[in-house]
Amino acid sequence: MTNIYQPDLMEVLDVQQQTADVKSVRVRFRDEARSDDFHFRVGQFGMFSLFGYGESTFNICSSSNWKDFVEFCFRRTGRVTEALWSLEKNDTIGFRGPYGNSYPMDKWVGKNLIFIGGGIAMPPLRCAIWYALENRGQFGDITIVYGARRAQDLVFRKELDRWAEYDRVRVVRCVDPGGETPDWTGEVGFVPAVTEQAQIPADNAVALVIGPPVMIKFTLPVLAKMGLADRDIYTSLENRMKCGVGKCGRCNCGPVYVCKEGPVFTLEQLKALPSDY
Amino acid sequence: MLQPLRETCRRLLDDGTVQVVIGYGQAMRAVEPYPVFITDPNDVGQLVWNEQCRTNLVKYLLRQEIRALGKPAIVVKGCDERALVVLEQESQIERSEIVVIGVACDGMAEARCEVCDAHQPRFADHTIGHATNKEQSAERRYAHLAEFQERPIADRMDYWKAELERCVKCYACRQSCPLCYCQRCIVEKNRPAVLDTSPTLKGNFAWHIVRAFHLAGRCVGCDQCSRVCPEGIDLRLLNQSMARASEASFGHRSGTDPQAELVLGNFSKQDQEQFIR
Amino acid sequence: MSQIISQPAIRRLVKQWLREGKRVVAPVQIRPDLVSYQPVRSADQFLLDGFIRPLNSIKEVVFPRHEQLFQYRVRGKQIDLLPAPLPDIERIVLAARPCDAAALPILDHVFNWESRDAAYNQRRKLTTVVALACMEHDAHCFCTSLGGGPDDTRGSDALLFDLGDDTLEVRCVTDKGQNLFAGQTESSTRTAPSVPGPERQADLQQVGQQLEQAFERSDWAAWTNRCLGCGACAFGCPACHCFDMVDEGGPTCGARVRNWDACQFGQFTLHASGHNPRSAQSQRQRQRIYHKFHVYPQKFGELLCTGCGNCTRNCPVSLGVLPVLEAMQAEGA
Repeated sequence: MTNIYQPDLMEVLDVQQQTADVKSVRVRFRDEARSDDFHFRVGQFGMFSLFGYGESTFNICSSSNWKDFVEFCFRRTGRVTEALWSLEKNDTIGFRGPYGNSYPMDKWVGKNLIFIGGGIAMPPLRCAIWYALENRGQFGDITIVYGARRAQDLVFRKELDRWAEYDRVRVVRCVDPGGETPDWTGEVGFVPAVTEQAQIPADNAVALVIGPPVMIKFTLPVLAKMGLADRDIYTSLENRMKCGVGKCGRCNCGPVYVCKEGPVFTLEQLKALPSDY
Repeated sequence: MLQPLRETCRRLLDDGTVQVVIGYGQAMRAVEPYPVFITDPNDVGQLVWNEQCRTNLVKYLLRQEIRALGKPAIVVKGCDERALVVLEQESQIERSEIVVIGVACDGMAEARCEVCDAHQPRFADHTIGHATNKEQSAERRYAHLAEFQERPIADRMDYWKAELERCVKCYACRQSCPLCYCQRCIVEKNRPAVLDTSPTLKGNFAWHIVRAFHLAGRCVGCDQCSRVCPEGIDLRLLNQSMARASEASFGHRSGTDPQAELVLGNFSKQDQEQFIR
Repeated sequence: MSQIISQPAIRRLVKQWLREGKRVVAPVQIRPDLVSYQPVRSADQFLLDGFIRPLNSIKEVVFPRHEQLFQYRVRGKQIDLLPAPLPDIERIVLAARPCDAAALPILDHVFNWESRDAAYNQRRKLTTVVALACMEHDAHCFCTSLGGGPDDTRGSDALLFDLGDDTLEVRCVTDKGQNLFAGQTESSTRTAPSVPGPERQADLQQVGQQLEQAFERSDWAAWTNRCLGCGACAFGCPACHCFDMVDEGGPTCGARVRNWDACQFGQFTLHASGHNPRSAQSQRQRQRIYHKFHVYPQKFGELLCTGCGNCTRNCPVSLGVLPVLEAMQAEGA
């Protein structure tokens, strides 16, 4: 029986500073064999650790089609992320995963996709966006609405332009009023309002909405107005976790353990959960 | 005693002087009295007073759940009251916003009651009953500690090892202590992590020593920590040793004189400082 | 016919087990008013009668309060992980209360839910539980509300009954129990009379129904606001099993460890962002009740409680699950 709490070692291939306090990191298993048999589904997460500092939970923000590395993204905010901030190429980190359920990309085949994100929530959208683009023929129109407080707070900024080049893909960028730079060409306004005015093709659509609670709260009625049913609106919860494998009890919320039965839930499922997340 | 106590509480609630009375209730004789929070004057019949009312209720003045109930009246014994004095000196409470109901106490059948010199509350707004305060010499008050310290040092070390080995870090000591009010306790701080959170001998020694230091010159000897410890660890010994030092070196007995200067909060040219060379 | 053993014979057995290098855990008087399950160092140190219930639980034998998961060593860019060796010492829990033993099969569910916790399972395999039927109960006991009782055999490999005059009846429940006592007992015509369990009750069926609707009730604050937010209830509970994982040591060597944790601590669910889904104590109390009486039974088919009453006994302010369930029931559905 293996020790489910002992991580695999991963080598840092590349670190990108995304914003003043956000970095993305590409890592690869030190063990070739582990690398070869590693599979995950977009939407799943991993426990990433720096020895002597501890573990943190992050979504795997690379596409499951990418075999050369696994990517995660974090904001510098606590003990572990503070330590991860100084990661350099060739450094070693610990990884356990993949854990949790995933976005039901198979169920989304043939549908229009709407991705809505705010601030640091881009990484968990990004894996699904790339997956959809790499299987472009399977999906209908793709609309990406991404907002942040200020222009410089947008994560994976450069990729937004690349996504916009794909056929039938629209990227709507927005910043909060006052957060625009002189050369800003995107929208100015809050994500819910921008979404409402964006005339998004919403028939036969599913939406993935991830962001701060207040953004989600005001975006949901907009999606409802656009005609999306609760079962077609998805999000990813971010409960605090320790073990990731349904043992430590921390992420329990009503009938579910978020680490096992989540983190991906439809709005329909969320409404059945107690307001405890 | 009980009738005047209930009547006083009813009056205070009835005329709107306070919104809540923090007192003792008891469901059945076999179970110790526990804290109750009476907000309806018709519920004062729930209040009890007997020789098992050991809890120091002062802690609840600091808990947000109880503060949210409105202006409180609190039932205290002469010993509990000392914590109020310190909390006021440390600017944690506004004394004028609290109505203090002192209850004369002949002892709660605890070890500390045998050397009590505060049977009769001295600073209460309303006092129920009458008891006589007996002068107690320092020798008598610290006899328990002195007896322990007569043991050879190796014995004492063995004693603490055996006792602290059992500590599970449930933090009942801290949570019950009326003077442990840090928003974030040092053992929970992790940037940097100063103390091991593990309930190992090392982590437990560090925790209890640091806690005793934090209470040096402040602990009022209410012995809640010892009383509530599920493992029966006699934390009183640690606190007494700090209290005795504070009394011997600075003539300070915490919580006995509202006009006194705080030992660690003030500098005096008379302070002994032979240790600074 | 029954099988009996004398107290001196049991103590001789314990001596033998200790000599064989086995770990024996049994109730030990640690203070005049306190009994605690502790590792036994000598055969005359533990109690076989005269106590109601130890302040702690036997879960520690299979799920220690603190354990290393692995060690790490860092040399330059080289990092080595040294897995914690699997436990290999045989353990015998002697004179466990039935409400303690009953928690072990309940814990098995979560520690084997899809992924298996190796160290837990290994300790479980190495452990033989010899329970001691209760002769008395106190005001906090409510095992009978949960299908248990003074002679409940769930989780026990053997059950002892006090027959008086230093004699115990032995009823073996499993092969492990049989093996432990093989050749050590005598046949007798004496059998233990059945002892009534505690009368204080909670109607768990009604509680289950109430919990379907009770989450948003405003009464939680009134039911629980004396809670001080410590972990005394969880740590003394035979079934509570939440844990924390932290790194201890420096940047060059140390270990990742797991420690017991408790859902009543304010930090338990605190996000790095500062958001706390359960920022109020009443929400944390509500979680404890829901986890035990709603979530766990829905997921694993068993309540996460054996009615031992330790939560209330250990609580600085006499809370714990039974007073909350009683308050809930007094309010009606």
